[in-house]
Amino acid sequence: MDPEREYRGGVPLPQWEDPAAAQRTALAAGRENGLRQLRRMSAWSAAALVVGTGAATAAFVHGFTPAAQVAGSTTTAGAGGAAVGAGGPTTQSSGGPAVTHSVAATSGSGVTTVTTTRTVGGKTVVTRARSAPAYQDN
Amino acid sequence: MLTAELTAAGLWQRIATGDDAVAVAQRAALGTSARVAVWPPESLGRALIAVDAVLDELDHQASRFRADSELSWINQAGGGLFLLSDGLAQAIGVALAAARWTGALADPTVGTALVSLGYDRDFAAIDPDRPEPAPPPRPAPGWESVQLAGVMLRIPAGTRLDLGATAKGLGSDRAARAAMSVTGHPGGVLVGLGGDIAIAGITPRGGWPVTVADDSDPAGRPAGQLVRLPAGAIATSSISCRTWRRAGRTLHHIVDPRTGLPADGPWRMASVAAATCADANAAATAAIVAGHRAEGWLTATGLPARLAGRDGNVRYVGGWPDADGRQVAVPPGTHVYGGTVRIGGSR
Repeated sequence: MDPEREYRGGVPLPQWEDPAAAQRTALAAGRENGLRQLRRMSAWSAAALVVGTGAATAAFVHGFTPAAQVAGSTTTAGAGGAAVGAGGPTTQSSGGPAVTHSVAATSGSGVTTVTTTRTVGGKTVVTRARSAPAYQDN
Repeated sequence: MLTAELTAAGLWQRIATGDDAVAVAQRAALGTSARVAVWPPESLGRALIAVDAVLDELDHQASRFRADSELSWINQAGGGLFLLSDGLAQAIGVALAAARWTGALADPTVGTALVSLGYDRDFAAIDPDRPEPAPPPRPAPGWESVQLAGVMLRIPAGTRLDLGATAKGLGSDRAARAAMSVTGHPGGVLVGLGGDIAIAGITPRGGWPVTVADDSDPAGRPAGQLVRLPAGAIATSSISCRTWRRAGRTLHHIVDPRTGLPADGPWRMASVAAATCADANAAATAAIVAGHRAEGWLTATGLPARLAGRDGNVRYVGGWPDADGRQVAVPPGTHVYGGTVRIGGSR
């Protein structure tokens, strides 16, 4: 037995008709037509407002947003990874504060890298010390 | 005041990032580091307390190296039927769902293989260069051999669970949610656990700025990428960070369940963005294990990813930006959370 075919919920039943009710229905239909026209006009007005607002927003955002990345695309960078510092301004899409510096790093599991820069004999020496504490892997 | 007390107690260390609009703190936790960033800054104290509670709970539930953890107790029992806490039941459920989703590329039954390879204690306590070879490798028993029904778990004899592919992501998800729930402000929270990052609330404009730290570049050059996370989470898996040697051979901790050996693909580091950190964590591990199939698998999932190869090349998949400062567009939906009460047990 196919439960989809047996399901009858939501199927409209035939209505009982009487003449007085039919007259009331005709009058109501006239009023409904008027209201429907009014609603249609309101709907078009609202749609125009939405389109206008959207176009203005798009034009505004376009000035700040870098080109969207194409989902599913694959690109290759040269050896050494991405070009750091080559980025442009980012979108202003949320209501939070402006934060320009990185607040966290994602990297290999649990390894803390401390980079120390000092000047020795006029040369800049960069030391990177790594510690790999235990437990959780990824 | 609350934040001052926490930092004075030596638990948390405030981090100056250069932005006064957010407060950032870091501490050692779960054998790695936990980082919390919040706005408004005055929410930091409450957020840190909430994060502490979540991390402590997770440690007691899912640590493989803590003798008194619930997971250690189960692993030491050598198989059988167990009644779990709700928290561990969720953690194992997420791990099994991740295994199903990834086609067993990220499988929690690799625990015995990891022990055989020598990763049987805190990483800091592992002998970095043991002369004797590891025992012959054996494939993992497979996630389908484990049965989870609500809080009831049955595992076969000889199977040890390792939740490394999902537990940190799960912890970040839990901690971000918990911190957001207690801050009492309109604001936002970021929690990073060993580099697996989840966010909650309202992000800074354009998204949270996060560095993908490629600190294992084979050429030794400092490398990385700044991205903005407007939603969801980012996680990274790497084969370069936890390595040791046995009989002259370098081993690492991401095990291919099919062989019982460390994954031997072309990628040394995989970063993935997803709607939840547990999803991202599992996908990053799966990408390392998948090897040459990683790009195809990630593209099929629709998740943005950054794959750093052993040869130094970097591949951008699924819309991950190839320039600095761009947003990572995270698709909605989770593959590892939600409503699974009975899983595994088909073989």
